[in-house]
Amino acid sequence: MAIIEVNNLTKEYQLGHMKNLKQTVLNGVNRLCGKPVEKHSPFKALDNVSFSIEEGEVVGIIGTNGAGKSTMLKHLARISTPTSGKVSVRGSVAPLIEVGAGLNPELSGRENIFLNGAIMGIPKRVLREKFDEIVAFAELEEFIDTPIKRYSSGMAVRLGFSIATSVNPEILIVDEVLSVGDLAFQRKCFDRMEDLIKLQGKTVLIVSHNIRQVERICSRAILLDHGTILMDGEPAKVCNLFYDRSNEKILKGSLESRKTQGSVETSGEIDVEEVLIFRGESSQPTDEVGMHEPMRIGIRFTSHVDVPCPEIVVGFHTTDFVYIASTSSAVLPDRPDIKKGEGYYECKLDDLQLMPGIYCVRLAFIDQYRRMMWYGENQKIFKVGTNTINLSKMPVAGFVDFKFKWSF
Amino acid sequence: MINVLKNIYDYRELMMALAWKSIIVRYKQSYLGIAWAVIKPIIMTMIFMLVRSFVGIETGDTPYPVLTFAALMPWIFFQETTSDGVASVVNNSTLIRKIYFPRVILPITAAMTKLMDLGINFLILAAMMTFYQIVPSIHILWVPLIVVYIMLIALCINMAGSAVYVYYRDVGAALPALLSLLMYATPVIYPLTLVEKTLLVNKAAGGWSDFFFNLYTMNPLVGVIDAFQKAILQGKSPDFSIVWPGALVILVLLPISYKIFKKAENYFADVI
Repeated sequence: MAIIEVNNLTKEYQLGHMKNLKQTVLNGVNRLCGKPVEKHSPFKALDNVSFSIEEGEVVGIIGTNGAGKSTMLKHLARISTPTSGKVSVRGSVAPLIEVGAGLNPELSGRENIFLNGAIMGIPKRVLREKFDEIVAFAELEEFIDTPIKRYSSGMAVRLGFSIATSVNPEILIVDEVLSVGDLAFQRKCFDRMEDLIKLQGKTVLIVSHNIRQVERICSRAILLDHGTILMDGEPAKVCNLFYDRSNEKILKGSLESRKTQGSVETSGEIDVEEVLIFRGESSQPTDEVGMHEPMRIGIRFTSHVDVPCPEIVVGFHTTDFVYIASTSSAVLPDRPDIKKGEGYYECKLDDLQLMPGIYCVRLAFIDQYRRMMWYGENQKIFKVGTNTINLSKMPVAGFVDFKFKWSF
Repeated sequence: MINVLKNIYDYRELMMALAWKSIIVRYKQSYLGIAWAVIKPIIMTMIFMLVRSFVGIETGDTPYPVLTFAALMPWIFFQETTSDGVASVVNNSTLIRKIYFPRVILPITAAMTKLMDLGINFLILAAMMTFYQIVPSIHILWVPLIVVYIMLIALCINMAGSAVYVYYRDVGAALPALLSLLMYATPVIYPLTLVEKTLLVNKAAGGWSDFFFNLYTMNPLVGVIDAFQKAILQGKSPDFSIVWPGALVILVLLPISYKIFKKAENYFADVI
């Protein structure tokens, strides 16, 4: 039997602010006079959503901001009540909607363990038994009698996570918690989550913007969009669809507003007018290049000074700023000087080894003393198409497609 | 009703923890700490004594300071319980938005947290009674029952009030004003005997006098304070002819208040 069942769940919120007395009176007068009354239409945060989750499943819920992820979790944690539809949850739920939500700043760590534990429904007896374990996991032995308000934010979060995961619930609901704390503690949280999932077979629901994390620990993923389920199934497939969609959106956005989002640092000596992408030998600029095709990157700039022996760096990065590759003209000993005025350089690539997806160009001008004159990311956004290669036969993970040679 | 009691039992640990929290938090980083529980009624007793020296209120044979203190104790207990209770849901908005637990725990817990202050004030009352050589009788056993009754009255206001407060913050502004009005409709600064004498003996309102007196006693706190003073200071059992109209009102309002809370709580997380 399913441990969580959601049937036709719809949640509406009233948009706009509460009416005050003046508006109420005005509306009343308008209604009496037969004039139209100002009305706010309800906003559907969740629209007729149905799914069920079996015991032991680890489900990641992903989606853009405002897709309804957190609203969904709030219903599963019984915090919100649906406008229509039904949510039934069998078993105890530990909601980590926000770690440390129940921590009281005035109380000490010790007092908070008992208070927060009580709020989460952990019996006092259990808390006493697990007290040392909770403190040790949070690494707060020295500070346990200090009020929480004197803690650093990382310390408070560690304590919150430690209490919440000691509760031993049947269902764990996690909303963006693993993105807190320092790297070492994140690792520890991750291990504890994996322990809960793999060894104890807990049912876990995770909402995260860290798609790579969802892909790694979930056994199933649900993609929400505008309050409806877009896709429900294997994490790899769902995450890919999500990437594709957000990449499309980024590409579309960049076409509409060229060069607005690039971050640029400049000394004022050089202005980059535009960065162009060409397919093969074509002279027509484009936004899409096929995989393993030749391509050219054109840079049109204006220099206000003469720059002897400059170095130019061109590189690719993903939309989430993972640097993939870069090249520098510094390897050429006889590179030309930049003369004052307009200039145009090109950088050619015989075989574009990027995997299909959306990528960006970053660019730098450096003078002969290695001083940065101009640096910008996101200067040109382009799409690498699948070309003639069948995507379904391609490996799904990674950014680069090297030409390997096999021998048997 | 049984459901409510079961809820209270199931979540007794949470209620204890929350009550203990609000007591601790209130006096953290305060120099006088729990002494504040005593300072307020003592100051008010002194003010009332001062006012009385100008106005001249008849109080019968019980000394005025101890009579007033015995009225202020249940009154302040009620007043602070309601002002805490009505704000209890809004003050815990972070919890409401993040964690599930029966929401009704909050106003119920708020009805209990002031018990400690009340207990401390009993020590002061005992000291005053020793000074005036008033010996309590067996009727002092009524006191626990009266305290429970005050908590029920407060709960009646807490549940409906805290629920409406979530939607309309006007409640927060209105409550102190309403409470101070209510104080003058309650025999705190003046004794009940004065009202009885004016309305029942002198018939100040003519034929309407009995009606007005019944209306007056529909304020449940009238019965409470009179019963409290009688049980402790005068060694008498409560006068039920004064208690019943108020008790009837509470008996009717308590389930209504609970219904209002239950209906509103579904949307607390969305509105708060």
